[in-house]
Amino acid sequence: MKATMSSGLLLILLFATMPAAAKEIHATIVYDDAATDLASAREDAGQLWITTADLKRATRFEVKPQGVCRDELCFPLPKARQQEFIRNTPPVTWFNMTAFAELVHQPVAHDAALSTWYFGLRSDQRQQLSSLQAPDFTLPDLHGKLHRLSDFRGKKVLLVTWASW
Amino acid sequence: MAQDTGGAKDAGPWIDPVHYVATKPDLPKETVETAKRIGPLTYTVLIDEKHLVSKLYNMVNVPTGVWLNEQGRIVRPNEVAFVDDRFKNFTGMDSEPYLNALKDWVEKGDKSAYVMSEDHLREKMAAQDPNIAQGAAEFGLGEQLYKSGHQTEAIAHFKEAQRLNPKSWNYKRQAYALTSEKDYGTTFRDEVQKIGGSKVYYPPPELSTSGKK
Repeated sequence: MKATMSSGLLLILLFATMPAAAKEIHATIVYDDAATDLASAREDAGQLWITTADLKRATRFEVKPQGVCRDELCFPLPKARQQEFIRNTPPVTWFNMTAFAELVHQPVAHDAALSTWYFGLRSDQRQQLSSLQAPDFTLPDLHGKLHRLSDFRGKKVLLVTWASW
Repeated sequence: MAQDTGGAKDAGPWIDPVHYVATKPDLPKETVETAKRIGPLTYTVLIDEKHLVSKLYNMVNVPTGVWLNEQGRIVRPNEVAFVDDRFKNFTGMDSEPYLNALKDWVEKGDKSAYVMSEDHLREKMAAQDPNIAQGAAEFGLGEQLYKSGHQTEAIAHFKEAQRLNPKSWNYKRQAYALTSEKDYGTTFRDEVQKIGGSKVYYPPPELSTSGKK
């Protein structure tokens, strides 16, 4: 009886660190419209887990004591829910990309067959529009030279989209 | 800002028609003449393969214009922005009132009667429906799959984007252009008929100057 209980406890502990249902996958994630191939990711109950090294490589976000941060932007993780976002299996630390997307109100589109996840605009990026400050962007001209909208400050700008189709 | 998944390949001929016709010796004489008449464009023309501008500004069709003042503030929201009459037969819309409004703004700046109040602008630019953001993600995924050689798999995501944001003509027309209308079981013409025809395809710009401020 005692032996059964302790192995049961051990099992529970194992589940807490790396669930048995987690499937090792190759994944492509698209963040800020840039695609990154991940040689090793985990899918568990529809959630995408990536290593913190891949998180930095694909999104430039890093897990810090104060939250998930990039430059001045920082999203604190709810203290009581840390294990929903971070799992340690030394030497690797896993980060739950889909749970983080939900936390920051970021839409995710997924193609299961091609193991590709697209992360859209977070709510902080979408809400910029209601400030009426023109959302900034950098795009190339026909010769590949990059132009940034904010470089036109000091001039009136008529911004017009068009298309060949 | 060319909203073209095909990038410079698709948008290029429109940006520099003179160069384009020089590279194609077999084009009809009229095309060459038109290209020479238009000449290289003199304003900044950018290529937006990911439809980023439409995504950031919640735009649903082309041409869509926004006015930004010297401080980079939006002073007129998304609206149809024809600066010539080349599609007038289709739209029934004259570009002159819009051009006049534009000239008025260039001259008077924020004092122009065509500059809208912030409340009115916020109301116009707001996209509260979470389906719009989800639709943009589906469209972005479709583009990613298309560009990585999975054209067939892209179609389901383009369709989902169209379902989530049915007001976006960009999602419909770009998708039709990348593969074929047949993949979507409809045609551009049918879709235009469904909303009442080409004369109501573009909601006209709000150019009356009363009650805006």
